[in-house]
Amino acid sequence: MRLRSGAVIVLPVLLPLWLAAGLAGQETAREIIDRVDRMLQGESSEALLAMEIRTEHWTRTLEMRVWSLGTERALVRVISPQKDAGMATLKVGNEVWNYLPRVDRTLKIPPSLMMGSWMGSHFTNDDLVKESRMIDDYDIEIGYEGDRDGAAVWEFDLTPKPEAAVVWGKIVERIRKSDLMPVWAKYYDEDGVLVRTLTFGDYRRMGGRLVPTRMRVQPEDKPDEVTQLTYRELKFDVGLDPEFFSLRNLRAR
Amino acid sequence: MAAVWWRIAWRNLWRHGRRTVITALALAFGFLAAVFMVGLTDGIIAEMVETGTAVISGQIQAHDPGYLPDRPVYATIGGDAGVDVSALVTRIESVPGVVAAAPRLYGGGLLSAADQTQGAMLMGVDPERDARVVQLLSSMTEGRAPQAGANEIAIGSDLAHRLDVGPGAELVVVTPASDGSLGNDLFTVSGVFHTGSTGLDLTTAIVPIDALRGLLALEPGRVHEIAIRVSDPWAADSIAATIRARAGDDPPLAVAGWTEYRPELAEYVRLAGASNFIIVGIVFIMAIFGVANTMLMGTYERRREFAVVRALGSSPGGIIRTVLFEAVILGAIALLAGAAMTAPLVAWISRHPIDLSRFVGDFSMAGALVRPVLRVDVDLAGPLTSAVALFLTALGAAVYPALRASRVPPADALAGR
Amino acid sequence: MSATEPAAAPQHGPTHPSPVGRWASWRRRTSTLVFLSARNVVRELRRSLLTSSAMAIGLALLVISRTIADGAHEDWIDSGVRLGAGHVAVQAPGYLTSGALADRLGPAQLSEAERALAAPDVAPRIEAAVERLSASGLAASAASSFPVQIDGVIPTRERQFSQLPEQVVDGRYLEDDDRLSAFIGVGLARRLELRPGSRFVLTSQNSESEIAGQLVRVAGTFRTGIPEVDDGLVQIPIETARTWLTAPGSATTIAVLLQSSRDVDGVVRALRARLDSVSGVRVLSWREASPELEAAVKIDDAGDYIFHGILFVIVGLAVLNAVLMSVLNRKREFGVLRALGLRRVETGAVVFGEGVLLTLASGAAGMILGFAITWIFWRNGLDLSGLMGGEMTMSGTLVDPVIVPAFRLSAMTQSLGFILVIGILASLYPAQQAMRIDVAEAMKFER
Repeated sequence: MRLRSGAVIVLPVLLPLWLAAGLAGQETAREIIDRVDRMLQGESSEALLAMEIRTEHWTRTLEMRVWSLGTERALVRVISPQKDAGMATLKVGNEVWNYLPRVDRTLKIPPSLMMGSWMGSHFTNDDLVKESRMIDDYDIEIGYEGDRDGAAVWEFDLTPKPEAAVVWGKIVERIRKSDLMPVWAKYYDEDGVLVRTLTFGDYRRMGGRLVPTRMRVQPEDKPDEVTQLTYRELKFDVGLDPEFFSLRNLRAR
Repeated sequence: MAAVWWRIAWRNLWRHGRRTVITALALAFGFLAAVFMVGLTDGIIAEMVETGTAVISGQIQAHDPGYLPDRPVYATIGGDAGVDVSALVTRIESVPGVVAAAPRLYGGGLLSAADQTQGAMLMGVDPERDARVVQLLSSMTEGRAPQAGANEIAIGSDLAHRLDVGPGAELVVVTPASDGSLGNDLFTVSGVFHTGSTGLDLTTAIVPIDALRGLLALEPGRVHEIAIRVSDPWAADSIAATIRARAGDDPPLAVAGWTEYRPELAEYVRLAGASNFIIVGIVFIMAIFGVANTMLMGTYERRREFAVVRALGSSPGGIIRTVLFEAVILGAIALLAGAAMTAPLVAWISRHPIDLSRFVGDFSMAGALVRPVLRVDVDLAGPLTSAVALFLTALGAAVYPALRASRVPPADALAGR
Repeated sequence: MSATEPAAAPQHGPTHPSPVGRWASWRRRTSTLVFLSARNVVRELRRSLLTSSAMAIGLALLVISRTIADGAHEDWIDSGVRLGAGHVAVQAPGYLTSGALADRLGPAQLSEAERALAAPDVAPRIEAAVERLSASGLAASAASSFPVQIDGVIPTRERQFSQLPEQVVDGRYLEDDDRLSAFIGVGLARRLELRPGSRFVLTSQNSESEIAGQLVRVAGTFRTGIPEVDDGLVQIPIETARTWLTAPGSATTIAVLLQSSRDVDGVVRALRARLDSVSGVRVLSWREASPELEAAVKIDDAGDYIFHGILFVIVGLAVLNAVLMSVLNRKREFGVLRALGLRRVETGAVVFGEGVLLTLASGAAGMILGFAITWIFWRNGLDLSGLMGGEMTMSGTLVDPVIVPAFRLSAMTQSLGFILVIGILASLYPAQQAMRIDVAEAMKFER
């Protein structure tokens, strides 16, 4: 199966980065991120998302509800279209399960399908999993600080640690200084070739915070293809505990 | 004049009847051996080609030109619009030499049973048509082939082991569909097959083509491959060319014979052809020795006789001619005897190939798929070549003795020196 | 003392019933017969040479065809087992069918196995033994991903075992102190857009059924010519695999290569004697692991036996003819001998003796000739590459176009036995003919 360029899906991971940016200067980026990370362990959220996917052969829009707890747990349930309604994905740590309502079965995704695209999008199952280890896997440094496109920004350079099990050579993230909003994230291979770009936009207040409600991932080798995530609703601190993220709940309709 | 010499040669032969018979027998047996060994090799090769192509791949395959080598699921014959599958199959079947054709669809996916999940290559077939093209569906070791219209699946033995299922079990089949969704459905295992080839037994699962179309969300009329069976595997390449020509551009087809997608088989065939040559050579070298031996002794014994003939006025050439004529007649007798021995034997063994499964031990192969049999395939080339070789042997063996016989001075021979 | 002998023939039999006397007399007669046979053979040297040359060449051909076929089979088996699990494999029971990491040899089983392999009756028969920890998983780069089979290996030992380390196309093979290196096929390199030095990630399920990723860098690429291997095989250092898959000190297979493939059964027996009592260990021969290879060899052997049979008959007929002719041409001579007191049976014995002596001589000559020619091929190898064109695979292994003949004592004795039997059988009929010579009739002949 060809890899579909994936993107970061779960919001919480981006939070430490740009929250940390705001506190840079006194502590190193790393220390800050550690602190924030610990803070976020208990952070729960619930969201209603629309995902539009355009590929060479088809175009699709899915609506789904996403619950998350910290960076380790997430449950996604598809609401529309009718054909896929009820399909759900559960992630706990490194493991991913799919629930297929049509046959009423749960499937644990084996490694060979981890790089397969999730729901046909440019995300991969692996992206869901790798999420939580982003901080452990990369060294973060400020690559640029200054003005870009009329706004003051930081550009963070994420370089994989020597033995991190990640395929990227480098990730660069541009964050706005004023409101700590991410602007884009670019993924490069080790030769410095850009492979995919994640762009953010439509910044709005939701659940009491300013968030980018639109995320778009674009593969470089197929410029006409794109996956776009739009947050319709987003709530934080919804009082979820780890037991919520269970196989039983995966199957609940 | 010439006729006399033939009669004399004939009589000479029968004066030493036993010797003639035994020598002719040796040559005849050489003929039998050569025909048999060549037929055996050809039979083994044919068996190999047949099992190599008749198990699952067919002798000719047709695809959309963009399908190979990466096999993208969208590259169906006729592009996104597809084709009128029945019409295409009928058109292909009307090409001379084609026995049957069957459409196929492929998709990579997951099979899941209870708590085991395995990746597999799903192959969608028209069970009735496919059974006329390849043998896999008729050779289930357990159960039977999937039925059209049902959600049934046949899997390889190694796959069945890993999933720990047998006929009647339920499998979840999941595959990414062409519209981006995840095709998924429940299938019942209808049968298990064992080809002995791990590639097939571990990774292949067969379903009815319509069921796979549903999973892949493809429109009817979209197929990836037409697998074709021909009556003569050796004509596959030329028939493939004909099919390609007849299809023209509607739809554009890439048609390939088995020599292209099973090049190792083609290599083996060439090797066998070469070794046939060597075998015939060896057999007749042996025969030459036996025959030359006899003839040399014979001419030696007859030197008085030749001396008398020389004394009566014959030239040395006449002696040579006598011996050679004898050789020719001997060859003819040997050929007749050889043919008489060979024909019934070959006929019998064609109908009852030697079954080696006893000697090959517990090696079980699925049904009629890969049989450890020794089969003899005889066409016109083998016996013809052997016949020619036989005459050459007879003549060749006689040349030296003839020359020697002609060189003995008559006076010495008569004097007993 | 046959009562059917004509009275004219003086009896030389014993006149008293003493066993000693009878024995002495019998011995005397027999030695005379042998002398007669030998002298006849030598006297008609040209005829004898001609006759025996047929047999000698036949034997030589049998020897050559046998050794070449055996050499080719050794080759097939060798290539097949080197790419797989060797002539003998030590695994956990159930691994052959499951292929799962859970069915592996732990440190305890490994040390038992190593001790068994080091035993004095086993170790000298081994050419190389390697440990491997294998798993199936996914290889992913920034460009793409593909399912693969991952073998954790010990590089220096692999060099002795298989040819893969020599089939480097770009970069180099693994070295013992490598940690994060991988050796991949050109097919995989193409799919994932990798070169030596590129990074990629292996993902699989570890021993605790958790999904685990491992970073590796391409040390080098290989080409075997077999698409499944070039696309799907990745070799990494075994310690890296053990850490990644949380299987310390473990292996999924110990693959053993023997000096000679014919030693398999003996070594398997010896190993089983030691390891049957150890739980979690199973010893397999290549026949159990690769039944298709065995079948191919056996079928080829069967064809060869038929070839033998054919040569048998042809040579037999040639010899029969020759010996018979020699008998028929010496009717007078035999008649004289009979007149002088040689009994019927003894006449037959003389002829039979000639046949046997000829056979023995040709047997020797044929063996020598056969060995000589085989030795030439053995030194230089029989190069069939002209016949074969490009690379050739069979049963999933590459076939070497250069065949080195293999000597097998049992095969040689078989072929020699064949010839002896031929010679003996072919001498029977002429011997019988010799016995039938009527003395009076025989005198009519010149010779």
